[in-house]
Amino acid sequence: MLSRTADSLFWLSRYMERTDGLLRATSSHYILSLDSMVMGNMTWRSVLEVFTTLPNDEIATLEHNSFATLHALLTDVNSQSSLKVIVTRARENARGAQDHITKEVWEEVNALYHLLNQSNISDRQGEQDVIKMMLLFTQHSLLYTGVADVTMPRGLGWSFMNLGKFIERCLEILVLVDKHYEAINYNLNEENVIIQWKELLFSLSGYELHLKTYRGSRYNRNVLHQVLFNEDFPHSVLYSLSRIQKYLEDVVTEHHSPGSAELTRRFGALWSKVKYTDPTDIKSDNLKPFLESTKQDLLQFSTRLGQNFFSYQ
Amino acid sequence: MSSLETLLKEYTCPSGIWDEMCDEGAIRNHYQKLVSTFQQLDVPALQQKDLLAGELFMNQGITFTVYSDNKGIERIFPFDIIPRIITGKEWDIVERGIKQRLKALNLFLKDVYNDQQIVKENIIPANLVASCPHYLREVHGIKVPHDIYVHISGIDLIRGDDGNFYILEDNLRTPSGVSYMLENREVTKRIFPDIFAASNVRVINDYPLKLYNILLQLASTHISNPTVVLLTPGIYNSAYYEHSFLARQMGVSLVEGRDLVVDDHKVYMKTTNGLEQVHVIYRRIDDEYLDPLVFNPKSVLGVPGIMSAYRKGNVAIVNAIGNGVADDKAVYAYVPAMIKYYLNEEPILQNVNTYELSEPDARAYVFENIHRMVVKRTNQSGGYGMVMGNAISEEEWQKAKAEIEKDPRSFIAQPIIKLSTVPCFINGRFTPRHVDFRPYALCGPDGVEIVPGGLTRVALKEGSLVVNSSQGGGSKDTWIVDL
Repeated sequence: MLSRTADSLFWLSRYMERTDGLLRATSSHYILSLDSMVMGNMTWRSVLEVFTTLPNDEIATLEHNSFATLHALLTDVNSQSSLKVIVTRARENARGAQDHITKEVWEEVNALYHLLNQSNISDRQGEQDVIKMMLLFTQHSLLYTGVADVTMPRGLGWSFMNLGKFIERCLEILVLVDKHYEAINYNLNEENVIIQWKELLFSLSGYELHLKTYRGSRYNRNVLHQVLFNEDFPHSVLYSLSRIQKYLEDVVTEHHSPGSAELTRRFGALWSKVKYTDPTDIKSDNLKPFLESTKQDLLQFSTRLGQNFFSYQ
Repeated sequence: MSSLETLLKEYTCPSGIWDEMCDEGAIRNHYQKLVSTFQQLDVPALQQKDLLAGELFMNQGITFTVYSDNKGIERIFPFDIIPRIITGKEWDIVERGIKQRLKALNLFLKDVYNDQQIVKENIIPANLVASCPHYLREVHGIKVPHDIYVHISGIDLIRGDDGNFYILEDNLRTPSGVSYMLENREVTKRIFPDIFAASNVRVINDYPLKLYNILLQLASTHISNPTVVLLTPGIYNSAYYEHSFLARQMGVSLVEGRDLVVDDHKVYMKTTNGLEQVHVIYRRIDDEYLDPLVFNPKSVLGVPGIMSAYRKGNVAIVNAIGNGVADDKAVYAYVPAMIKYYLNEEPILQNVNTYELSEPDARAYVFENIHRMVVKRTNQSGGYGMVMGNAISEEEWQKAKAEIEKDPRSFIAQPIIKLSTVPCFINGRFTPRHVDFRPYALCGPDGVEIVPGGLTRVALKEGSLVVNSSQGGGSKDTWIVDL
């Protein structure tokens, strides 16, 4: 496969996964923010910090204004991290790899792009149908995931797509978890009520699983276990890393080179670190360094992956 | 609410112009079946089909880029849902005419880049060839596989008021539009499944496979499993949709210049597994940008050194480099003479009368009769640089005239021909619009093959004769039917 094509498939998937994450987090936050009884002093700061690169002063001007924030997160073409820009980039990558994706996958990306580029899209944020609009985007994003799964041939292209998808997902989980635990000073010993973990769990589609799986009121620890170590939860760090490992193996099987061996070794170290960490060893004082070092290792792995397979310039 | 029957009755055939559906108010035989089926539909149903067609094109991203449009870079190629019908009998003449023409043009290219007998015998003036910007000395004497230069061509035809087809121009470099021909057919099948199935339309959808087979045959015979690629300028090119469509349909890699590298006179593509040799390149990049070491040094679209691999015969490039000399609009006037010279035959399809503006007498005649003329640049396509004498203001004409006088070799003129009209469904009504016709021909070691159909381009503006997509034109499906 052409290096450029592999790169495009990798980034198509990363951008589409980012689309999904951004939509889930934004709609969860928006819906919860409507319930002032529960979220009395809730602002958009955490979402803006995670999903945009805006400076602190701009965040301060936006955080209490839902409609301005939604514009910045969803439709602002001047923001490099808005949904509109992300989907445009996904589409550019899809176009660059159009001969390697199925017609159905292309049509889904294209349909979402055109939906976001409807002339009245900005107006709709100011109206009551903002939830409806986000739901529609989310449906398209889910449809893309399903269509890709059902129609894409399994092979190198599929493996690179999934590497992009799960690297993006894992990074997103690490940043979101860090942001939510930072809000409680990484205090794992206190017992916050479940309602305070709703936003994180909804953002990762894990609320129902939590209710079904975890018993007791040690929510701070239980939620952490779920989002980091629960291998049955598709939005956990360990699940994402396990998928990366699988697709990395598939790619490396077809590419025997010293670079591939080094990549496998480094990723093995990262995966083992998470897999064989005893969750009870994570304490209030080492949670932040754990999250940070995992994120840095993953970023380094992603860079090496690019150098090994996508260096075509 | 008016029924389609009423709308069809209201359709007025323009006088003095050949209408594809009507002959002095009566419906032509080959349109009878379509018309009688339409009479059973109502207007909202047809509008619904029109809407569906638009959605299909939009969702599939069947778009093209307009360079001079500041509003946005992508546009859907407008599609009119009413198919154009040509009889099998008429098609057979077109097919024979194009085959004959391509045979002569291939022989011309071989000759002009080797012995130049046609120039020595003064059939074509030497200065006409030498002054052609697309005549490339760099490819002189290069042996191409099977002596084929024009593998893929799109010959533009028009139908005059006498009902005969005429050749308007030859496109022998990187003709585009074939994907629209194929997609138009797919969309028509979706919106008119019953009418289509009952109409005995000749099949066109094997074009990509035919093309792929020709490309495979161009690789050296000692290579058992040649690698074929399609070279595109990239995702921002106006015809990128077509490039990706063809690559997908043929199952070949779609590469950009930056994906290729030349080493030891061989072309390789950069893959995740290292370098892999490429044997055949179907390029959709103009000659000028192909190799910055030989042609335009500023080109970032091409591949440095690719000419050396081509010269050594290590890679086949399709179409051959330097074909522009044969589809130059001034050389076009000499194609009938080529047919006579190389094949000793009379042309089956006639040219449109063409005046070379480098000839002082012809120039004076054209200037005097400009209101009846269209002036074209010899090296431009897509309708750019065209002067319609019947629609130009005095000020614009003076400006254009000055430009022509500065470099008359770069211009030709032709009398304005009233292209034939076809019914189009526009704003809920059937209304006549002018069309041309571009069939696509493939030339391989086994001869010339033309898929029975082509792209009918429509001038969507009322009365307009300019059909180019970049100038507000659209397209429609073209049915070759055996009655």
